[in-house]
Amino acid sequence: MENNTKQKKQMKEPSQKSSFWKILYKSSLSFWAMAPLLFGVIGLVGIFQVLVTPKMLSSLFRGNFMVDTLIGTLTGAAASGNPVISYMLGGELLAQSVSFYAVSAFILSWVTLSFVHLPAEVAVFGGRFTLYRNILAVVFTIMIAVLTTLTIQVLS
Amino acid sequence: MKEKAKTFAFRGKYLLLGVIIFYGVLSLVNSGIPLLALRKSILILIKVVPIFIAVILFTAILNYFIKPKQIASHLGRESGVKAWLWALAAGVISHGPMYAWYPLLEDLRGHGMRDGLIVVFFFSRALKIPLLPMMVDYFGWAFTVVLSLYILIGALIQGWILERIEHTNRESKC
Repeated sequence: MENNTKQKKQMKEPSQKSSFWKILYKSSLSFWAMAPLLFGVIGLVGIFQVLVTPKMLSSLFRGNFMVDTLIGTLTGAAASGNPVISYMLGGELLAQSVSFYAVSAFILSWVTLSFVHLPAEVAVFGGRFTLYRNILAVVFTIMIAVLTTLTIQVLS
Repeated sequence: MKEKAKTFAFRGKYLLLGVIIFYGVLSLVNSGIPLLALRKSILILIKVVPIFIAVILFTAILNYFIKPKQIASHLGRESGVKAWLWALAAGVISHGPMYAWYPLLEDLRGHGMRDGLIVVFFFSRALKIPLLPMMVDYFGWAFTVVLSLYILIGALIQGWILERIEHTNRESKC
């Protein structure tokens, strides 16, 4: 009886293992199918990092908090790279007397929005989802930037 | 073999082709820019490869241990508050660029994951726990705490709004 169960276990284990490798192979294959899409996005990010310089971004701010919040959102979406860079740039912008509204919007949209990722997002999730998600992200980035600054002002 | 050949197809070929053409055109104007951009892209790729590997492994482990029906019940239309909190936590914890997570999310979506949860995941990524000390250093405690709180609340509201929009769209179609 015991031998029987052992035999059954032994029979079961290799099949489970092979099925995991099969699943891993499938996952790798579906990821590989997306490789041109990902390489395309990485290529775009590289070119944007060269063409859109921090100096160029900071020169866009005008001093009007409403317009600057919108510019902060759009420039954050146009730029790409590690979020650490957005903090450093945000710090520089604050030092240049750019409003907290604009800086908050800038560092928020740096991570949540990206013009460069749009073609890949459309290809993976569809046009309608991408449109809704990005509109919501733009609206909420602006709202959160304004609310954060107002809250800080009230608290201080 | 035949089945694989039928189902397997590269995606984003035209995007990659467009980017290559863009690099080519730029090299005609200024050969330095595409070279620099290519170098930056290679550096990004090197940084992102470990995340890609982690995502592939995570997708495989998820598919191995959790059946599609279970994914649908945990993250699908019938899922409850827990699913929203999981999406929020996953977004905060997730590393690397947004596009690295597209394959996993696409896979989960294929198994029934709600679109609202994807929206929550994407927006909550704005909160990066390892970078919080740096944010405090640049912008202060108050700013960091308030912004983080609004990001989490904002992510959940966005997910809820998207669900409402999709619900209205479905109803108007019926």
